[in-house]
Amino acid sequence: MAAVKKSALVVCPGRGAYTRSELGYLLRNHAGERDLLGRVDAWRARGGQRTVSELDAAERFSLATYSRGDNASLLTFACSLADFRSLDSDAIEVAAIAGNSLGWYTSLACAGVLDLDDAINLVNTMGNLTHKRRIGGQLVFPLTDEEWRPDAGRRERLDAAVADIRQRSGCELYTSVILGGIAVMAGTDAALDHLQREGPQGPGRFPMRLENHGAYHSPLMKGVRDAARELLNPGCFTSPSVPLIDGNGRIWRPGASSRRALRDYTLGTQIVETYDFSAAIRVGLRELAPDCVIVLGPGDSLGGAIGQILCEMGWLGVDSKIAFAEIQESRPFVLSMGRAEQRALAA
Amino acid sequence: MGFVASVARETRTRRSPVPDTGRRAIRDVQIKDNVHAKFLARISANALKNYGSRLSPADVGLTDEQLVGIFHSQVLSRQVDRMACKLRAANEGYYTVGSSGHECNAAFAEAFRLSDLSFLHYRDAAFQIHRSKEVAGQTPGWDLLLSLAASSEDPIASGRHKVLGSKLLNIPPQTSTIASHMPKAVGAALSIGLAKRIEFTETNFPADSVVICSFGDASVNHSTAQGAINSACWNAFQGIEVPIAFICEDNGIGISVRTPDGWIRSQFADRAVLRYMPVNGLDVLETYKAAVAAEDFVRRERKPVFVHMHCVRLQGHAGTDVQTSYRTREEIDAIENQDPLLHTAATLIGNGILTGDDVLDTYNGVEETLARMADEAVKRPKLESPEEIMASIVPRTRETWPQTKVPADVRAAAFAEDELLMGKPQHMARLLGWCLTDLMLQHENIVIAGEDVGRKGGVYGVTRKLQQRFGADRVIDTLLDEQSILGLGIGLAHNNMLPIAEIQFLAYLHNAEDQLRGEAATLSFFSSRQYSNPMIVRVAGLGYQQGFGGHFHNDNSIAVLRDVPGIVIACPSNGRDAVAMMRECVRLALEEQRVVVFLEPIARYMTRDLHEPGDRGWTAVYEAPEEGSVVALGDVHTEGRGTDLAIVTYGNGYYLSRQAQKTLLEIHGVAARVIDMRWLAPLPEEALLAAVSGCRSVLIVDECRRTGSQSESLMALFAETRPNVHAARIAADDSFIPIGAASTLTLPGRESIVTRALQCIESRGTADC
Repeated sequence: MAAVKKSALVVCPGRGAYTRSELGYLLRNHAGERDLLGRVDAWRARGGQRTVSELDAAERFSLATYSRGDNASLLTFACSLADFRSLDSDAIEVAAIAGNSLGWYTSLACAGVLDLDDAINLVNTMGNLTHKRRIGGQLVFPLTDEEWRPDAGRRERLDAAVADIRQRSGCELYTSVILGGIAVMAGTDAALDHLQREGPQGPGRFPMRLENHGAYHSPLMKGVRDAARELLNPGCFTSPSVPLIDGNGRIWRPGASSRRALRDYTLGTQIVETYDFSAAIRVGLRELAPDCVIVLGPGDSLGGAIGQILCEMGWLGVDSKIAFAEIQESRPFVLSMGRAEQRALAA
Repeated sequence: MGFVASVARETRTRRSPVPDTGRRAIRDVQIKDNVHAKFLARISANALKNYGSRLSPADVGLTDEQLVGIFHSQVLSRQVDRMACKLRAANEGYYTVGSSGHECNAAFAEAFRLSDLSFLHYRDAAFQIHRSKEVAGQTPGWDLLLSLAASSEDPIASGRHKVLGSKLLNIPPQTSTIASHMPKAVGAALSIGLAKRIEFTETNFPADSVVICSFGDASVNHSTAQGAINSACWNAFQGIEVPIAFICEDNGIGISVRTPDGWIRSQFADRAVLRYMPVNGLDVLETYKAAVAAEDFVRRERKPVFVHMHCVRLQGHAGTDVQTSYRTREEIDAIENQDPLLHTAATLIGNGILTGDDVLDTYNGVEETLARMADEAVKRPKLESPEEIMASIVPRTRETWPQTKVPADVRAAAFAEDELLMGKPQHMARLLGWCLTDLMLQHENIVIAGEDVGRKGGVYGVTRKLQQRFGADRVIDTLLDEQSILGLGIGLAHNNMLPIAEIQFLAYLHNAEDQLRGEAATLSFFSSRQYSNPMIVRVAGLGYQQGFGGHFHNDNSIAVLRDVPGIVIACPSNGRDAVAMMRECVRLALEEQRVVVFLEPIARYMTRDLHEPGDRGWTAVYEAPEEGSVVALGDVHTEGRGTDLAIVTYGNGYYLSRQAQKTLLEIHGVAARVIDMRWLAPLPEEALLAAVSGCRSVLIVDECRRTGSQSESLMALFAETRPNVHAARIAADDSFIPIGAASTLTLPGRESIVTRALQCIESRGTADC
């Protein structure tokens, strides 16, 4: 009898995932993925852009280059999708796929909603659009203490500052992404400048502006949304092969999902409204109760956010950073493929 | 509290994580289940002849995806039922009444809108699951498991009961067992049109919404169901908007008692204004088609529809019910062969939408997933202290509520006819009427409803001129059915109106009392304060009526209300208090969202004098809002400062005790104080103890029957907290009240109060207690 497979909630990271330490990720892990990388590179080459393989194989990492939307998007996507394809299908049963921000597009490819070329087109088009039409930015605030317990004072200070700054001329502020214990705010540059000074300070370098990021998942993206609708073929959406969980915590089930609604969400709602990553994970854990969560590479930055979400939920009895670390030590629950030792448990 | 009790309490309140050791993995629990086995066998063998719909999804306007979505909801509902039995077997769950055989009700969730308030049958898990898919972020399976495991994280009842319900999904929690949800469902339906007619816009439901009310074929025999359907028809018959879809889920049996063949049809197929729609509720496409037709009819025509959904009950009534004790094997086998899930699966396969393997993948996949979920769900926290359990008895306090500033000329116009009378002392009936007038001017959402309250102005004239002032939609002459009156009240409250319902005589509360006890009072409790139905019920009652006698007009027991947690019972003894207390009751309903019973002593409605003819001791000059005296919840009144004796009483007892007080002083030289409780529930314990302070003797005068009257609580209160005070009581005999001259013989009177008071003082003198 075959061993019982582990059910997994697969999570696709956003475009900030490819950091300095990830340089060479594809080379190290996916040299054999000729088809995927070939098609991604060909797409880039046709558009006169540096290929993903080239970016990945570069000698040096430069934040200015790698954080640009037109570069980061497809590079991150390729790493994640290659990771997804390398999952050990004898040991892992994918219960559902969720993503964070750009990761939503990746999840569409993983679940077969878009075929590879359509997914590449979507990701690269959105990457190019957000780069070319960059407006505003994102600012990150941690809202927990060091032990991941909610810090009500920080939340209140942030809310108060946001309410105040919104009254000022030229200042638009929105909640962009809800990411565990972190609030990512989107807004106009002026508003973010105020918020950076007036919002809760620390720890360390926080609040932090995200280099080369626009005011994603906010109404400031309406222009990008409209352009995306013009450029992208709406007919390419099909039904997912496994359940997908979006940034509102909605489950899109195989066979039961309206392709039109899926398209409207992808090319509409999620571009201009808050992306609630926490809701996606919460719903995934509760409604599918997976044996583990697999965070696709590159990087492992979502692992902490997911740990914080477990903490908020008290899932598996986790109520602090230490408790999460203990679980991870004794029976790893969140497996980040960006970490070699955890990758081995999934791939 | 004794030492042992306090230790026990501490132990109960101490929070500890649920121990994980020794817990049996739910995924390893096996249960015997023929329906399940048959489903797997038939799908695996493709033995689906005679199964499936004659229709295709396109025939009824469904996409393939929609049908697959409905099937998923049906499967999840079924597997939750099975999981309930596994949880029970593992001693982790407490409730096994399932929805198996009724899963086509998911089609109604597909056909109706999310904003259509739905009072559901307890076998409607598939409806709730399917509706949850309209809202992002919902976790219907997890929520149902939390409910089965009685976890405090259950999002509707927080572990207080296994109920269907959801605030976001517009499904109030309740049970359909005794059809007690039906009168309020009709009330909610009536509220939609009423709001439009009185131009009240701060409603909770959209103006074009409708109400869904589902129930079983056995429950329909309850008076609540009969009355509710009757009330819907009585109103619709007159052209009043009643947009309600009754869904009778007829599985042919109530626990073990069969519904006679054809009974439901015979009762409802031919009723005036009730559109009857029979449907094969085993066929999801036919059900959807009927649901769409019903939805279209009720939304457009704003009239009641009765969908008769024929289905089956697979399994026993609950997991513990062995159906072989009342059904033959052959019958059970025949019923199991009518599994609606097999029909839906066959329809999907027959239309090439899913393969047999897809169906099995869905079915087994949901089972496996639920098992993993259940292993986590049983570990979630439970209610662990009385405080946690009771935290939702009293609803949440609101910050805002409908209120308007009444311009002076508007008020003057309303009172124009009574202007000359208003400066003079008046009796309680008239003062209350003016008070209601002012309240209705101040709060545009107040609606008065009851028998004879409108054109007649009430049996005792309390609501005289109100209909003339505010119209027939704000002062409603209802049909003669107390359950429907209280149901209307609850329904209006659901839609953010403030009902002041009237029960004409206390004796007529009893046939309807469960609408307060089982429905209105429990809504906050079972919804963890997410739902509320603030309302005031005026009840004319108590004894001592001179002209109009007998038990049915002089009932003197309110025991049926006194033990209902959370209910406020106000009982004014005189007109001035009645005005102040009614205003406080409206505040309690609007602000604290309380359910309030306002008990009016009929015998004091027209009383003018206290001690002798013409003394006008029981009248008062009407005090305008904001100028009047304030009587807050729990405020008692003390008349006199005597320390020889404290008489604790209310209502007519207060009136008689005031007379006795005079006699005691003037004839017997006893200085007594008389304390009017005013509020019978919650018992104003602190205020009463403060009021009797300085008196070593307390006499409780209670006009209600000795057994079950407030005097019992009061005796207990003084015995438990003031052992040095000598407390005695005089209460009505345990008798019904007769008619005529004998009508007061079983009740306390001025003379008997004096006698008992003197005894009380004397016995204290000898016993020095």
